[in-house]
Amino acid sequence: MTEEKVFEIVKESIGEILFDLDLSLVQPQHSLKELGANSIDRMEITVRAMEMLSLKIPLVEFGKVSNIQGLVDILLTQKKAAG
Amino acid sequence: MGIRSRSSVITGMGVINAIADGIPEFAASLRAGKSGIGFLNHPPEHVPVRIGAEIKDWKYIEALNSIHGLSDELRQRTKKSSLRSPFPVQVSVYSALQAWRMAELETKPAEPERIGLVIAGSNLSQHYIYRQNERFRESPEYLPPSYALHFMDTDHLGTISEILNIQGEGFTVGGASASGNIGLIKGAQLVQYGLVDVCLVVGAVADLSPMEWQGFHAIGAMGGKRFANDPSLSCRPFDRQHEGFIYGQGSACLVLESSESAARRGVRSVAEYLGGGIVLDANRLSDPTEKGEAKAMNIALQQSGIEPKDIDYISAHGTSSPLGDDTEIMAIRQVFREYTPQIWINSTKSLTGHCIYAAGMTEAVATVIQMQEGFVHPNLNLEQPIDDECRFVGKRSMDTELNMAMSNSFGFGGINSSIVLKKGERTEWQ
Repeated sequence: MTEEKVFEIVKESIGEILFDLDLSLVQPQHSLKELGANSIDRMEITVRAMEMLSLKIPLVEFGKVSNIQGLVDILLTQKKAAG
Repeated sequence: MGIRSRSSVITGMGVINAIADGIPEFAASLRAGKSGIGFLNHPPEHVPVRIGAEIKDWKYIEALNSIHGLSDELRQRTKKSSLRSPFPVQVSVYSALQAWRMAELETKPAEPERIGLVIAGSNLSQHYIYRQNERFRESPEYLPPSYALHFMDTDHLGTISEILNIQGEGFTVGGASASGNIGLIKGAQLVQYGLVDVCLVVGAVADLSPMEWQGFHAIGAMGGKRFANDPSLSCRPFDRQHEGFIYGQGSACLVLESSESAARRGVRSVAEYLGGGIVLDANRLSDPTEKGEAKAMNIALQQSGIEPKDIDYISAHGTSSPLGDDTEIMAIRQVFREYTPQIWINSTKSLTGHCIYAAGMTEAVATVIQMQEGFVHPNLNLEQPIDDECRFVGKRSMDTELNMAMSNSFGFGGINSSIVLKKGERTEWQ
C-alpha cells in the first residue's frame, strides 16, 4: 500500500460525502474543513476511508489531524502495521 | 364557540403516494378512482406480506427538478442539505417543497421567525435503523457517524428548516395512525394562538422495517389474505369482506397560515381549517371505541362553531379493518343522527392504502381537492356496505358541491382525532 493509493482512497471517500466537490482540486495540504466538510462530514469521511481500507482505528487517534495529509499518514501507518 | 382566536387557512399543499406525484396528479387519480395497491416491488424480507401501495420509480434528484418555480439557489440548498439523507427525510422534503411552492413562500416570503414547522409521525427511521443494525453487528466501527443525526425523527425537522430557513416554533408529534391530524391540529393552534403566521405541517412516510411489518401481520391488523392473488381487491373499507389495512407509502404537507398573513402576502387560501378534536380512550391497545371517536368528532364540530347538519362530507378513517370500520360508522351515526344519510362518506385509503403517519395529512389534502373541484371520489371495492343508511360514495366519483368537510383519523393506543375544513377560494392546480 503506497501513500498515493491511500490518498486516492481518502479522495474517494471525500467524493462520496462531499458529492458536489471537484475531486481533481483536492490536495494533501487541504483541510477537510476548507473543502466544505462540516464536523459530521469529517467523521463520515474518516470512517468511510477506514472501511475502504479494512482498518479499525480508534477515532481519538484522529484528534490532532489538521489536513488530508495527516489523515493519510495515520491510515498509511496503520495499514502498514496491519501488514 | 371554541378557542378560535385567529382563523387559519390553507395556502399550500404537497403530496406523494402510490397514485400521485403532486397535487394535479392526485386530483386526477382521486376523480378517476385509481388504485395504487398491488404486489410490492420491495416486499419486506422474512415477512409474509406481499401487498401494499408503494411510491413507484421515484428518484430524489429528478423529483426535486420536477417542481417548477423554485429558484436555483433553493434547489442547490436542498441538494446540499438532503442528498445523502435517508429516504423518509427526502420524501418529507419533497412534499414540503411542493407546498412551499404552492404557497408562494419563496416569491412572497414571510418572516422566518414567524414560520413554524410540525413533523407528524414518530419512529420515522425504522427501516434505516434496521439496515444500519445489520451493518453494526458486523463492524460497529463502520457505522456512519451521521447515524447520530439520522436515527432521530427530528432529522426531518432540522433538514426541512435548514432548507426553507424556518426559524419559528417547531417539533415532531406522534399519534400512531392519527399523527397527521394531530400534527394539523397542533400546527393550526400555533397559527391560531398567534405564535407563528405560517406553519408547515408535514406528514412523514412510514418507512417500515420487516419487524414492523411482522408485528402488524402478527396481531392480525393487515388485510390481503382473502384477496392474496388479486391485490387491487384487498383494500375494501366499509365492505362486508374487509379484513384489515393495506399499507400505503406516502407523505403530504399542508401550509397553514393566518388569514391576515395570507392577505398580506397576497396568496389565495384553498381551504379554511375550522377546528379539530383530540381525545384519548385511556386504552393502550389497538381496539377503537365508538365513544372516543364520537367525542373527537363532537369536539371538532364545537371548535368549528358548526352543527352536524353543516357537514357535507366525511373523509373517513376507514382502514378496511372490520372492527375499525364498524366502530367508525356507529360513531358517525351517533354524532350526525338524522343527518347521516345526507353526508357523503368515502375512504381515501381504498385508493392510497393506509399511509399511517401521513394518512391524516394525505386525506386532508384529498378533502381540499374534492371541495375545490366539487366531487367525491369512489370507495373502491365497496360492494356490500356494512351499513345501509350511510351515504357511501359508490364505485365512481360523483360531482357534488362540498362546503364543509370532516376528516377522521384514529390510532392505536386509543387516540381519536377529527378535523373540520371549509372550502376556500377556487384555485387551479399548477
